[in-house]
Amino acid sequence: MRIARFLLAFVLLCSMTSAVRAEAKKKSVLNLFCWSEYVPQDVIDGFTKETGIKVNVENYASNEEMLSKLLAAGGKYDLIQPSEYTIEALVKADKLAPLNLENIPNIKNLDPAYTKLPHDPEGKYSVPWMAGSVGIVINTAKVKTPVTGYKDVFSGAHKKRIVVLNDSREIVSWALSSLGLPINDITPESLEKAKPVLAEWLPQVRVYDSDSPKTALLNGNVDVGIVWSGEAAILFKKNKKFQYVLPAEGAHRFIDSLAVPKGAANQENAEKFINYILKPEVSVKISDAFPYTNPNAEARKLLTKAQLANPASYPPGDPKLETFKDIGKVAADIDKLVTDLKNAKGK
Amino acid sequence: MVTWLCGGWTGLVFVFLYAPIVLLLIYSFNASDMGFLWEGFSMKWYGELWRNTQLIDSLKNSIIVATATTALSVPLGTTGAWLLHRYRFPVRGFLRTLIYVPVVIPEVIMGVSLLILFSVAAGPLNQWLAHFSEMEFGLGYATIVIAHTTFCFPFVLAAVEARLAGIDPHLEEAAMDLGAPPLQAFWRVIVPYLLPAIISGGLMAFMLSVDEVIVTFFVTGPESQTLPIKVYGMAKKGLDPSLNAISAVFVLATVVFVVLAERTRKLNR
Amino acid sequence: MVSDCRRRPGWLGWMLMTPMLAWLVAFVIAPTLILAVYSFCQRDELGQVVYHFSWENYRRIFIDSDTGRLGTVYLDVFLRSLSYAGLTTGICLVVGYPVAWFIGRAHPGRRNLLLTLVMIPFLTNFLIRTYAWMTILSENGILNGFLGYMHIATSFDMLYTPGAVVLGLAYTYLPFMILPVYGSVEKLDPALVEAALDLGANPFRVFQKVIIPLTFPGIFAGVLLVFIPAIGMFAVAQLMGGGVDPTIGEVIQNQFFSARDWPFGSALGMMLMLLFGVFFWAGARWWKTAAE
Repeated sequence: MRIARFLLAFVLLCSMTSAVRAEAKKKSVLNLFCWSEYVPQDVIDGFTKETGIKVNVENYASNEEMLSKLLAAGGKYDLIQPSEYTIEALVKADKLAPLNLENIPNIKNLDPAYTKLPHDPEGKYSVPWMAGSVGIVINTAKVKTPVTGYKDVFSGAHKKRIVVLNDSREIVSWALSSLGLPINDITPESLEKAKPVLAEWLPQVRVYDSDSPKTALLNGNVDVGIVWSGEAAILFKKNKKFQYVLPAEGAHRFIDSLAVPKGAANQENAEKFINYILKPEVSVKISDAFPYTNPNAEARKLLTKAQLANPASYPPGDPKLETFKDIGKVAADIDKLVTDLKNAKGK
Repeated sequence: MVTWLCGGWTGLVFVFLYAPIVLLLIYSFNASDMGFLWEGFSMKWYGELWRNTQLIDSLKNSIIVATATTALSVPLGTTGAWLLHRYRFPVRGFLRTLIYVPVVIPEVIMGVSLLILFSVAAGPLNQWLAHFSEMEFGLGYATIVIAHTTFCFPFVLAAVEARLAGIDPHLEEAAMDLGAPPLQAFWRVIVPYLLPAIISGGLMAFMLSVDEVIVTFFVTGPESQTLPIKVYGMAKKGLDPSLNAISAVFVLATVVFVVLAERTRKLNR
Repeated sequence: MVSDCRRRPGWLGWMLMTPMLAWLVAFVIAPTLILAVYSFCQRDELGQVVYHFSWENYRRIFIDSDTGRLGTVYLDVFLRSLSYAGLTTGICLVVGYPVAWFIGRAHPGRRNLLLTLVMIPFLTNFLIRTYAWMTILSENGILNGFLGYMHIATSFDMLYTPGAVVLGLAYTYLPFMILPVYGSVEKLDPALVEAALDLGANPFRVFQKVIIPLTFPGIFAGVLLVFIPAIGMFAVAQLMGGGVDPTIGEVIQNQFFSARDWPFGSALGMMLMLLFGVFFWAGARWWKTAAE
C-alpha cells in the first residue's frame, strides 16, 4: 500500500511535469533570459497579445551570470541578451544558432552603423538591442568638487559613498584605463599593475550593484556612481542634479544584442520576438523605459527632443568609443583578481 | 518581580519583531512612491500586483512546486518513519544522519551541490531520453521539486515518528489477529492513527516549500521561477511599493496558516 | 516498550525501504561526492569544468599567492562569517531568553496566544522581514524620514553596513532561539526554582546553578538553530550589506554565477561543510558530556 501511494505520487509528479511541458509546447512559449531592467513589461505583454506566445522571463545582472546558467541549463533558454564580447566568445565556442533572417524582415530598420560589427561580422548570430556606455554619475547637489574621471571618484573624498557595477570585467577595465593600459590586450603583467590600484579603490565602495545601481543614488545612500548609461539617463530624467560624465582617462561602449542559443526549443518564437521589437513603435517603448542608445534608425525618428538631448543616452559629439573584445582565458584571471580583492576587508 | 521585568522585555521584543512588518503593511497603502511622507490612502499597489503577470505566474509556480513536494514528501516521510519504527535496520544511525543532513546543512551547500549534480547528470540523461521521448531534462520544475522534497520529507518523518512513539505496540498485531492481512492492517489501522501527524507534517512541508528561496535560487529554470525568487530579485533592485503589497499578502497568508495549524494541533490531542 | 515489535528487517523491509534509500543516495550522497570531486578540478576559459586533479583551489583558500604564507582573504571571509554568526547567536540568546522565560512561565491560556505571536514572524518569509528593515534603514527610508519630520538633525547611515547585516540576521533568527528555549522552560518544574530560592540562594545563583543547567537543552538547540544557518545565509547579508564585506555564503554564490569558477566554489563549499561538521560534532560531544 505504501508503494502504491509512493508510486501514485511519483506518477503524479511525472504527469505534472510532462503535462506542463506538453502544455507549454501547445501554447507556444518563449524562454527569455535577459538583463534585469532592460525589457519593459509592456513590450512583453504586447508581444504576447499580438502572437499568443507566452513569455517566461528570467533575469541576470552580468554576462558571466548569464553564461553560468546558460551552460548549466542546456537548451532551456530560447533568447539571450549578451554583450558584444560575450557574443564573440559564444560564437567561437559554437554555442549560438544562426538566425533565419527571413523571419526578421524588420531588421532593415536598424542603423547600419550598428550592424555587422567585429563581434558578429556577418550579422548572422545577433541583432542589436541597445548600445550604451559606462560612465560616472554625480549627485551635484551633494558633490561640489568637479569629477572628471576615475581618479576623482576614488580620490578618497567620496569614501563609502560610491556605488559601482558588480562586474569584474568592467572594474578591471577602469583600473587599466586610469593607468593608460589597453582594455582589450590584458596580460598577467597588466593585471599585476591594476592590482594595487584596485586594492586602493574597492574599499571605498559602498554598494556593488549591476541590477539597479540608480537605486542607491536615488535613495541618497551614495553620492557618486559608475553605472550603465541608461541608469544615468533615468536619473537625469528624474532630476537634472544627476550629471553624467564620460571618464577622461577613457571610456568604452557596449552593444547588447539578442541571440539564440544553440539547441533552443523555440527558435522561431525567438525570431518573432526579435522582429517584434524592431518595430519602431515598440522600440520607442523600450527607449522610454530604458533610455540607452537606440540603434533603430526608424525608432530614433520617433523619439522626443528631450530624449535625444539626454547626454547619457546620446553623448554629445558622438565620441568614438571602443568595445570590449573577448579575452579568452584571461577572463578567469580577472574574475580571480576581483574576487580576491572584493573579499578583502577594507583595512 | 523578575516576571514583570521579563514581561516588559517581552513586550519590547514583540514591538521590535512586529514593527517593521506593521510599518510595511501601513506603507503598502501609501499613495506615495517612496519615502516617509504619507500621501494618502491608496490600493493602487495591490492593483499593480494583480496586473503583474510575472508575479502571478510565479505564485502559480510556487503552489505547483509546493503541492508536488508535499505529494512526494508525505509518502517518503511516512513510510520512512514507519519502517524505522517497525524494523531495527542495522544502519539506522547512519540513515538518520543522512536523512537530517539536508535539514541542518547550510542551504548554500545544498543548493550548490544539487546544481552540480543536475548539470552533471543532465548530459547523459538527455542522451538517454532522446531515444524515446521528446522530454528534456534541465533545470526547472523537476529539479526544484527534488530539492525541496529532499529537505521537506524529514519534517514529515519527524512528525510521524513523534506520533509513532506513543503508539500502542499491539495495535497492529491486534488488527492482524482479527484476520486482516498486514498491508490492510497498516492502511486501515495505523494510518488513521497517524493522520494528524501526517497532516501537520504535510502542512509544514508545504509551507517550507513555498517559503524556500536559497536552494531554489540555484536550481531554478526560466519557466519555474517561484514567488520568493521573484521577490528576491525585486528586493535586490531596491525599494518598491509593490513589494510592500506582496509582503502584506504574505503576512496574511502566514496568519491564516498559523490559525490552521493551531486547529490541527488541537485535533492531535 | 516498543522493542518487542522491532525485529530485523527481512527482504520485505529492505525492499520497502528502497525508495527512501535510493532518494538519499541520489540526492544527498551523490551531490556531496560530486562536490568533493569538483573541488579538485579547474575551470577553462568559458567557465566549464576541466577534470584535471589539482590542489590549486585549496591552496588558494589557505595560502596567499603574494606572500606564500598561510592566511588569505578567504580565511578572513570565513572568520567574518563566523563572527557575524556568533554575534547574531549571542544577541538572539540575550534578547530571546527572557522572552522564552516569560512565555514558558505564563498562564497556559496566555501562553498559546504568546506562542502564536512568536510563530507568525517565525513563519513569515525572511525576505519579507529583511525587506521591511531595508525600508526602515534606507537613507530615504522611514527612520530618517521620521527623524527629518521631527526636525532632528542627525541621520542614520545604517543600511549597507556590517551592523545592518547583524541586525538583519538577528531579526531573522530570533524566533529560532525563542522557540526551543521556550520548550525547555516549559518543562522546568517551578517547584525546583522555588525550592532553591527558599534555601536562601540569591536569584543570580539560582539562575546560574539551577535554571541554566535545566534549560540547557533548549539553549543548546537554539544556539545550533541560529548559529549554523547564520553562517551560510547570504541573502540577508547581500540585501542588508550591499555586497561589500561579503560572507562566505555570498562568496560561494558568486563563484557559481558571477565568477563562474565552479571548482573553486566547490572547494569553498567543502570547507564550509567541514566547518559545519566540526561545530556539529563538537556540539554533540559537549551535549553528551553535559548530559552526564
